[in-house]
Amino acid sequence: MNSASFRITIGFLLCGGMISGLAQKADAGDWPGYSGSDNGQRYSALKQVTAANAARLQAKWVYHVDGASGMEQTPVVVNGVMYISQFNRMDAIDARTGNIIWKYQRPPASASAQRGTAFYNDKVFMVTSDSHLVALDARNGGIRWDAKSEGSYAISGAAPTIVRNKVIVSGNRPDGFVQAFDAETGKYAWTWSAVPKPGEPGAESWGTARPQGGPMWMSGSYDPELNLLYYGTGQPNPQWTGFERPGDNLYTESIVALNPDTGKLVWYFQNTPHDTHDWDSTETLVLVDGVFKGRARKLLLQANRNGFYYVLDRSNGEYLLGTPFVSKVDWADGLDSKGRPIVIPGHDPSVRGTRTCPSTAGATNWPAPTYSPDTKYFYVTVAEGCGLNFISSSTAPDAGTGYIETADAPWQAYVRALDATTGKKVWEYKPVRSNHYGPGLLSTAGGIVFTPEQFGQVTVLDAKSGKPLWHFNTGDLITASPMTYSVNGQQFFAIASGTNIFAFGLQGVNP
Amino acid sequence: MNRAFGIAGFLLTCAVGPVIAQRGGPVNPFQGQLEAVHEGESLYAQHCTGCHGPNGSAGEIGPAIVSAERAAFGGNDAQVFNTIKNGIAGTPMGPQKLAEEEIWKITAYIHAMRGTAIDNPLPGDSAHGEQIFWGKGQCGTCHMLGGKGGLTAPDLSNIAGIRKASTIVDALTKEQHHEYGSGGAHLRSLPPMDSYLPVHVTSADGKVIDGILLNEDGYALQMIGNDQRLHSFDRAKLRRVDIEAKSLMPTDYDKRLTSDEFRDLLAFLTRQGLKPPAPGRGGAPRGEDQ
Repeated sequence: MNSASFRITIGFLLCGGMISGLAQKADAGDWPGYSGSDNGQRYSALKQVTAANAARLQAKWVYHVDGASGMEQTPVVVNGVMYISQFNRMDAIDARTGNIIWKYQRPPASASAQRGTAFYNDKVFMVTSDSHLVALDARNGGIRWDAKSEGSYAISGAAPTIVRNKVIVSGNRPDGFVQAFDAETGKYAWTWSAVPKPGEPGAESWGTARPQGGPMWMSGSYDPELNLLYYGTGQPNPQWTGFERPGDNLYTESIVALNPDTGKLVWYFQNTPHDTHDWDSTETLVLVDGVFKGRARKLLLQANRNGFYYVLDRSNGEYLLGTPFVSKVDWADGLDSKGRPIVIPGHDPSVRGTRTCPSTAGATNWPAPTYSPDTKYFYVTVAEGCGLNFISSSTAPDAGTGYIETADAPWQAYVRALDATTGKKVWEYKPVRSNHYGPGLLSTAGGIVFTPEQFGQVTVLDAKSGKPLWHFNTGDLITASPMTYSVNGQQFFAIASGTNIFAFGLQGVNP
Repeated sequence: MNRAFGIAGFLLTCAVGPVIAQRGGPVNPFQGQLEAVHEGESLYAQHCTGCHGPNGSAGEIGPAIVSAERAAFGGNDAQVFNTIKNGIAGTPMGPQKLAEEEIWKITAYIHAMRGTAIDNPLPGDSAHGEQIFWGKGQCGTCHMLGGKGGLTAPDLSNIAGIRKASTIVDALTKEQHHEYGSGGAHLRSLPPMDSYLPVHVTSADGKVIDGILLNEDGYALQMIGNDQRLHSFDRAKLRRVDIEAKSLMPTDYDKRLTSDEFRDLLAFLTRQGLKPPAPGRGGAPRGEDQ
């Protein structure tokens, strides 16, 4: 566990009047950003709800986000106020009751998927659909500053990442990028591009093609001791045909470590060189201080969409371990000693359709995994199954295409607990009917894994055994990752389901 | 590629652009011409699948423009033409640099994809097909149609209004006729199960109930029993649940019926349904209370 970067501490110390309007910083019981902490663990030290009492959970309130559609965001809570963001929109509500406090809407209304906001020094940050980054005053929704992205870069729906006094955003167009702004003033700081310009290091890995792609549409993770910012990058373009871009296509499909002061690349590890299956390496990067083969190391964990679970040394990017976490991986015969896939030829998309396992939807995808420092397990929602990848022309480099589920290996979701340092499966839970990558997960010091399901159930599992302890049907599809927080002595869990935010807590505790 | 692109995901057909002077607009010169539809398909594959997915089923950037069921995809041919020609401002849907003739052909293809069997019923003797449905074909044993028949399979009263003729043929002749979704296409609402798999439930006291599965999750299960009753179970209170992998729906109707009988059954089935409202005039009637 990376305790130095973990902001949530044990206890329920908040007092009344927490929405008093004083300048406030993230505090005990808060969930100030997408993953709850810099380290991407999505683990909370809150432990009012335990495996022993989870059966007493109940819904506490529901907040309807009118005009939304299939929300993918994780709400943020600081000092008893929950911030719910969409593109162009922020709703601030009382995290105890669900009562609305303020709402900001900038035209046009948008129902596009957006994954959340971040809190820093009385400000919450909202991304607009025309690529502005707006700092709203957390107390009343007033606009503190409004910055347009620098250059031609378009900011994606990833929740902003806070690193020291900077707010970091990322995006996909024209190519993958990370961009940093001063959190107090909105002043532009730097840009890192996921693909090199001609002549820059990495350009040689594209043949004569212009480097393109590497979309970056998930939040980063941060290690304050190493002062390194970690991001995953997406696929090279053209997306499905690789013959005109021979080579590894750096720095697509990679895990990268950046210096957050300068935006310079410190190291990279490429999961899928020369990808033709759109297996973005954007899955949440989980930073853990653990013992690997008897030696204490600063680890970086990722369950990748390509079917492999990776353990790296996050101080230098050294590959330590990679092993499949789904039963069917047929495009590579394992990884070599450097972590490079030993590719089995014949899996490129074709006009007739090429079967590949896992599918392009992935062995897992962006819904968050979680790591518990108590069990030392890495919990992840996985999708078993294969896909057929099509291209409309075998000669056009930018051939249109798609992918579908294969009839002989239809998709089925599982929640799996992996031993974090070996990747070995400890237990699994099958969310019945879930066929797509489902929602994300959350673990707590109470020994539970909060487990929403694609088809609307919210289940609490025993973190050690995977046994279901409690469940609730939200009545809508869930495609978001959960969070937990505490106000006035009550621990809550919240999840976006369809167009609603649900909050749960124990019976008999009323803040 | 990011499947949650940071841009408003307007339905392609929601836009009514400036070219359309009045409701309706110009008529597609290629409407219903098979060769043009095929050319439109090829053009669609080159220019549209990258965003909207194969067969209009939604891709990673663009929304679905065709639904297997006739969902709320409004927009007449003129509106589709306009959207392709001019794009939708503020979205990744830009103006397409294509000849107008090509755009009309793509429009004809989209129109064809959106149609269901009722728009183009198969030839044959429908009255004879009805006799086959209730008689030799034994369809009514499980399926209900027009208020008669069984409960253990889908009601077919509107089958031609929600399915294409080819899908109906597949259902009668192919074991793997289930339509699998594109990975980029995300469900927008909770669907009921559509597999109608045989299920055998054993209660705590050892009683076995056989029937057809309607829905299940990790905690509950709903089924139509062979007693034609709806049952709902708490899974924790059941001794066991056995779900068969294969539907009871026969898939050899092209063999168990003569070719004339099969043709006439299809003629009957592809006429069972409701015609959609005329383009541009869709939508539910407004009540007094709205």
